[in-house]
Amino acid sequence: MRILFVQPAPFEPGRLGLENAIWLSEPAAFTSLAAMVPDHECRILDLRLEPDSALNRELLAFRPDIVAVSCMTTDSYQAMAILQCAKNTLGADKVFCIAGGHHPSLAPYDFHQVSIIDAIAIGEGEDTFKELVAHLDQGGARRKLQRIDGLCFFDGAEWVTTTKRAQSRSMDSFPLPDRSLLKKYSGSYFFMSAMPMGSLSTSRGCAYDCNFCGIWEFYEKKVRFLSAARICDALEAMDESFVMFLDDNFLTSQKRLEELCDEIERRGIRKLYGAQGRADFVVKHPELMARLRKAGLTLLISGYETNDEQGLAALKKSSVADANKIAAKMLNDLGIAIFGIFMVRPDFTHADFDFLYQSIDEMRITLPIITIHTPLPGTQLRKLAQGNLLTEDVRFFDLLHAVTPTTLSREEFYTRFTEGWAKREWRNAPFLDFVKKRPDFMKITWRGLIHLTQMLVRYRPVATSPESHLRDEIGIIPADLTVLNAREKATDKAPIKTAPLPSSSKGLRIISDQAAE
Amino acid sequence: MTKSAATFLRDLRDEVESHPGTNHMFLCRLAWVPFTREDYLVASTQHYPLVGTFTRYLEELLLRAPTSEAKSWLAKVLVDEYGEGSDGKDHRTLYREYLVAAGLQGFDDLDTPLHKDVTAFVFEHLRIVKEEPFLVGLGAVGPGHEWSIPKMFPPIIQGLRKSGFSESSIVYFTLHALQDIDHGRWLEEALLLNASTSKAQQEIRRGTLLSLEARERFWSGVQDKVTRWRQPQNVHLRTQARGERFSLRSMAKEGLKDQLVRLRPPAQELTLRQLRAMTAVDKAA
Ligand code: B12
Ligand code: SF4
Ligand SMILES: [Fe+2]
Repeated sequence: MRILFVQPAPFEPGRLGLENAIWLSEPAAFTSLAAMVPDHECRILDLRLEPDSALNRELLAFRPDIVAVSCMTTDSYQAMAILQCAKNTLGADKVFCIAGGHHPSLAPYDFHQVSIIDAIAIGEGEDTFKELVAHLDQGGARRKLQRIDGLCFFDGAEWVTTTKRAQSRSMDSFPLPDRSLLKKYSGSYFFMSAMPMGSLSTSRGCAYDCNFCGIWEFYEKKVRFLSAARICDALEAMDESFVMFLDDNFLTSQKRLEELCDEIERRGIRKLYGAQGRADFVVKHPELMARLRKAGLTLLISGYETNDEQGLAALKKSSVADANKIAAKMLNDLGIAIFGIFMVRPDFTHADFDFLYQSIDEMRITLPIITIHTPLPGTQLRKLAQGNLLTEDVRFFDLLHAVTPTTLSREEFYTRFTEGWAKREWRNAPFLDFVKKRPDFMKITWRGLIHLTQMLVRYRPVATSPESHLRDEIGIIPADLTVLNAREKATDKAPIKTAPLPSSSKGLRIISDQAAE
Repeated sequence: MTKSAATFLRDLRDEVESHPGTNHMFLCRLAWVPFTREDYLVASTQHYPLVGTFTRYLEELLLRAPTSEAKSWLAKVLVDEYGEGSDGKDHRTLYREYLVAAGLQGFDDLDTPLHKDVTAFVFEHLRIVKEEPFLVGLGAVGPGHEWSIPKMFPPIIQGLRKSGFSESSIVYFTLHALQDIDHGRWLEEALLLNASTSKAQQEIRRGTLLSLEARERFWSGVQDKVTRWRQPQNVHLRTQARGERFSLRSMAKEGLKDQLVRLRPPAQELTLRQLRAMTAVDKAA
C-alpha cells in the first residue's frame, strides 16, 4: 500500500508558533509508525517546511491509499483540513484517512467527522497502525475494524471505540524509527541555534501527575524506557551532532541515566544533547548531572513553577524558590543551558508579574520560555476550567493566549506577558556565559546561529507585541472581558462558542493592513 | 492518439476536480477552522472582484463564438448568470447581501487593497477570452469555472454555516453550488460537439488549466490577506510575495474598462497613481 504521512503546519500560515523560532522537531510519530510497516511504500510530508500546494501535488503524484495525520490540540483544525484536501482530491472512497496523536487520543469526539475521517488512533500507535494497514492491505472492509485495538471508527451507523490498546510493549521491541523518510528535510529541524538536530524518544510516560499536563493520562501513569544499548544504537545511526530527547521527563531514573552515560562512554559516542527534565531531580543528583554534562548534555528544558495548582504560590515558597535557584546555579556552573518554562496564570496581577520576572532574573535562566497556564483537553485542569472557558477554538490552546478570564484587562495582561519575552532574551548575561562555557556547542551550531538570528529578527517583533495576541482574538474573545464581567458577558452563551458575532472588533478597520503592504 | 470526446471530457473533469486550484488548502481550512466574520469580510472583499467579471468573460467570448451552438450555450449561461431565476437578484446583489452580513459598512471598505493575485486572476481571464483561440477561452470559462465551482463552494458553505451566517445571507454560495452543476451539464453538451480533434482537446485543456492555475494563486492571495490582516507584522507567510496596489473601487471604476485592461497582469509594485498614468497612455494610444 502507499501511505502518506502528513505533519500539519500548526496554524493557517501567518500565525506565530513555537516551531517558528524556538523548536522545530522532526515528526517522530511518523518515523516510528513507518518503521512498523516496512513492506509498504511510505512518504512523509512536513507541511511546516513546505508550501500548502505541496500537499495537493503529493496527493496527485503519489496517489496514497492511506493518508495519516498526527496532531496535538493546536493543530487539529489543520489536520482536518489536510484530510479534507485528501478526500476532495482523491475521492472519498479511494483514500483511507486516519488521525492520531495527542488531541485525537484525548478528545476523539472532535474528530467524529464522517466526511473526512475513517478512523482515529487512540494512544500509542505502532501496533494499531500495523494491524490496520495489514487489514486494509488484505482487502478488509474499512468500516469493520472492531478487531483492531486502539481505534475509534465509523461503522456506518455510529462511531465505535475498540478495546483500549495495551500500552505495555517494551520500547526495545519496537523497530528503530525510519528516519530515511526525512532525508529531504535533513538539516531543517532545530532547537534555537542547535541545527541540524536529530530527535529521539527514549522513554514514554511520566510518573508525576501535574494538573495541566496530559502525558501521564495518555500513557496511563506508566513509564517505559528504551535501554541504554538501544538508545546508543539509534544515536549511532544519526548523522546529526546534536540530538534532542523528546521525552517529556528525561530525568527520571538515576539507574537508567547512569547506564546511558556508561554506554555512551563505552562506545565513544560524541554528540551533544538536549532534554526536558525537572529542577528537583537536578538538585538531588549533582554527580549524575555532572556525568550527563560530560556525556554531552548541553541544554535542559525545565518547568520551574509548574508542579501543581498553586503555581506562583509554590514559587513563592522558599523551599521551591531555593531548589530552583540551586538547580539553576548547578546547571549554569556545569555549562548546561537552562530553558526555563514559566507559567503565567490568567489571574495574575501586576504584582504577580513583577514577582515572576524578578525571580527569573535572579535565577539566571539562559532563556525563559514564558507561557500561559492553559487547560488542555484531557488534563485535570480542563475539568476544573470547563465552565470558565472563553473559547473552544483549538488555536488558542497554544499556551500563548489566555482562554479563561484574566484579572487584568486583556490588553494589560498581554502587555505584561510579552514584556517577559521582550526583556529577557538571548543577548542576556546567562546566555553569554553559556556561550563562553560551551565552545563545543558553538562550534557545531554556527550555521544554526545564523538561522536563529534570522528567526529572531523576524519573529521578535511579533512575539513581543501585545497587539499580535489581541488581533488573534478579534471576534472571538471580547477585548474588554475580565474576571469581573465574564459572567455577565457570557450569560447567553456560556462558554462562548467559537467564532461568535464580532464583539471585540472595536477600532478595527478592514483597510488597516495598508501599513503592512 | 486522439481520445474520444467523451473520454477526453471525463478525464478533464477528473483533472479539474482534483486540481490544486479547486482543492486549495485555504478552502479546506475554511471548512474546519472557525474563522470569524471579520476574517470572512477580509476574504470576501478579495473575492468580490471576481463576482461581476464572469459575465464579462462570457460576453467577450460570445462575440468570438464561431458556431451558433457555441453562441447559444454561452448565451444560455449568460442569461442565468445575469440573475434569471434568482428572484430578480443578480449575482452582484446577492454577494453584496453576503458582504453586509459579514460586516461591510459603507463604500470605504471598497478601498481595501487587492492582492496582486486577485487582480491578476481577472487580467488573466480577460486576456484568455480576448487573445487566446476561442476554445482556450471556452476551456477557461467552461470546465475551468463551471466544473470547479461546485467543488470549491461546499467547504466555503460549511465554514460559513459554522461561523453562524444565516442561510439567507449566503444564497450567493448555495445558489452557485447548484446552478453551476446545471451550467456544467449544458457546457458538457457544447463541448462534446467541439472536442473531437486532438487540437481542440489541447486548446480546451490549456484554457482550463490556465484558469485553474490562476485560481490557485488567487486563493493563496486571499488567504494571505486573511492571515496578514490578523498578523500584519508577521513575515513567515509561505504564500507568494505581495505587491497588490489595486483597490476594489479602482477596479470597479476603471479596472474593467477596455482602455485600462492591458491584458497583462500588473507589475508587482504598481501603485494606483501609476495605474492611472497607464490608463492615460492607453487612451492616447
Ligand atoms: C516535540 C514536541 C513538540 C514540537 C513539535 C511536535 C511535532 N509533532 O513535531 C514543538 C516544539 C513544535 C511543540 C510545540 C508545542 N507543543 Co509539543 N510536544 C513535543 C513532545 C515533547 C514530543 C512529541 C514527539 O515527537 N513524541 C514522540 C512520538 C513518537 O510520540 P507521539 O507524537 O505521541 O506519537 C505516538 C502516538 O501519539 C501515536 N500517534 C501520533 N500520531 C499518530 C498518527 C497516526 C495515524 C497514528 C496511527 C498514531 C499516531 O503513535 C505514536 C507512536 O506511539 C510532546 C511530548 C511527548 N513526549 O510526546 C509535546 C506535546 C505533544 N506538546 C504539547 C504542547 C502543549 C505543545 C504546545 C501547544 C505548547 C508548548 N509550549 O509546548 C506547542 C504548540 C505548537 C503549535 N504551534 O501548535 C503537548 C500536547 C498536549 C495536547 N493536548 O495536544 C505535549 C503532549 C506535551 C505535554 N506534556 O503536554 N511540541
Ligand atoms: S509536566 Fe512533566 S513532570 Fe508533570 S506530568 Fe507532565 S511530563 Fe510529568
Ligand atoms: Fe455559473
